[in-house]
Amino acid sequence: MSNINGKIYALNAITPMKPWKTLVLRGFFFLLGHIKPLQQDLINLSFIEFARWVVLPRRQFPFLGNGQVKEELQYDYLLFFSNFNGTWNQYIDAFSAVLSKGLNLVWRWSEKFPGAVPVTPFKEYIARVQFDTDYYYTAYPHAAANDLKSAHIVQASLDSLSQRAQACTPEQFADAYLRFVLEVQAHLGETGEAPIVF
Amino acid sequence: MSKLNETDIQGFVLRGYNLPVARYFFLHFEDAARARMLIGRLLHHVTTGQLWDGGKPESTVNIAFTQQGLAALELPDATLLSFPVEFQQGMKKRAGILGDTGLNSPERWDELWRDDRVHAWLGINAQSPAALDHRCAAMVELLEETGGAVALAAQEAAAVVIDGKPTTREHFGFTDGFGNPDYLGVGRSSQPGQGKLLPNGSWAPLATGELLLGYADEAGELPVAPMPHILASNGTFMVYRKLHQNLATFRAYLDEHAALYGGGKEKLAAKFIGRWRDGTPLELSPDNPDSSIAQDPNRSTNFTYGADPEGMRCPIGAHVRRVHPRDAFGFNGKLIDRRRITRRGLPYGPFAAEGEPASDTEERGVIFMALNASISRQFEFVQQQWIEYGNDPHLGNDKDMLMGNHGGRGKFVVQGDASAANPPFICSKLPNFVELRGGDYFFLPSITALGMLAMGLVDPR
Repeated sequence: MSNINGKIYALNAITPMKPWKTLVLRGFFFLLGHIKPLQQDLINLSFIEFARWVVLPRRQFPFLGNGQVKEELQYDYLLFFSNFNGTWNQYIDAFSAVLSKGLNLVWRWSEKFPGAVPVTPFKEYIARVQFDTDYYYTAYPHAAANDLKSAHIVQASLDSLSQRAQACTPEQFADAYLRFVLEVQAHLGETGEAPIVF
Repeated sequence: MSKLNETDIQGFVLRGYNLPVARYFFLHFEDAARARMLIGRLLHHVTTGQLWDGGKPESTVNIAFTQQGLAALELPDATLLSFPVEFQQGMKKRAGILGDTGLNSPERWDELWRDDRVHAWLGINAQSPAALDHRCAAMVELLEETGGAVALAAQEAAAVVIDGKPTTREHFGFTDGFGNPDYLGVGRSSQPGQGKLLPNGSWAPLATGELLLGYADEAGELPVAPMPHILASNGTFMVYRKLHQNLATFRAYLDEHAALYGGGKEKLAAKFIGRWRDGTPLELSPDNPDSSIAQDPNRSTNFTYGADPEGMRCPIGAHVRRVHPRDAFGFNGKLIDRRRITRRGLPYGPFAAEGEPASDTEERGVIFMALNASISRQFEFVQQQWIEYGNDPHLGNDKDMLMGNHGGRGKFVVQGDASAANPPFICSKLPNFVELRGGDYFFLPSITALGMLAMGLVDPR
């Protein structure tokens, strides 16, 4: 059982919210979902494969009958799920450094949330509400999100070179090859083992 | 922020002395009481950060301790255990994290560093070899008089002298020492490009707590520090690494690849590092070196990479772009403000000018010393993520061309454009141009803390 698989880390955090606050958060999520620039900072953190927040309402937990005791939950819950490249510390540091305002808007409705800045209490909070991953499959443990994006660029560019090459004179091919290299030159990183987590 | 208490901070922390010769003694304490007496006597010699009204001194003295050294001084266990984990472990045990494996692994280090006998670093810098000898003789006398420590070894270091003048060149021929950050409260002539980038494109000093313990850092909190706090305040941590340079390998590699590269040898050398050998940043002058830029403090460090995302001027993997990415990761550089280090240090070994014979086996390299409030967050992060790895600049597992522990594998991509003088180019089968020969993590205490150590006044909390 580990949150780490090669270059990727899976983080789950579950935090309780007073039900009336859930309404406010839903309003904020609605705005976030419809105003793309608001998401841009999160998207621009290139080491994040994805990040998602989901509200788990207190009355919608599964009830299976069959002797399961009915519970009256006092809190709604906010599930945060993210996969990212790099270390836990690096991730939370970056969150705190560049996304603190957005994070505060998402998490301030959760009980005992200390704020995303300063970073040490924020880290303590995440560590406290984090649930470890039981099973974690990843298709490319030796590739980070950036490596995958690069691979797509190289593949597409190579395919198009290959197509053009069929009808090229040697001079035209030289030119097409140069253009191919210029297209892929910033996307040629090796894949491989992740550095040791510390 | 008001000025720092410069008389309580070791001068080595606040300024690069710019003195041309140095000798670093590595001390071993044999008896705690005698060692404390030695520190007490040394206290009067230690150079503080106080401004030199009467001009530069003939020589300076500074001291720092390893975890073993502090234990040998019989600091309380509760205090020893309050130091950050990486400092307690020492650099050797962090080899895996740092990528110090293979050719750089501890079993290949100089004998001095292979066991844990180094307790303290005693650094002497001086204006001249005579002044250095004079001051060192006084230090050795102190060691003998007090019986406080034995000197296990002494490392010589000196600025490379060209045409009779000390320079800031290193052995590969590059001009070094441009990139130290500015910090709040540290009085030195500040230079655009050396602090942190602000959204309006100007530069501001970093928070003091990125360099010194006891002050707020860029995250607005106090750095992790040992207890009691008065032991930590105005102190910092120092990373010491002896980096051997394989000069023959470097020259042969550069010659071999320059013959295939359309931009010429000097441009290829510049692409490795991101600066022409005279120091001109590629980002400001991609076609030729320009000494008017290199020598102008308002321009030599004043640039960003935002307009060059593809690395066509300065390659994405060039050394200076890796270790100080400025705005290259977006967010106006905010992701890198807590990863900055202050570098000190000098070359060692004989300088062989271009054209003079050179071998890999000659003792030659650079003594790299980095100062930072958190070794793990600053130095170790830079070393692991930006030197030995490449995900942040989207370079996968590619390593730093010059500093990386390649072991004959790996590659470095020189991004280019469609012009004949700046073609794209790939350097592969990279040898280790630089090899680690040893070093450790040190705590560089304040003057107050040195006094506490000398008097045995460190109480546990």
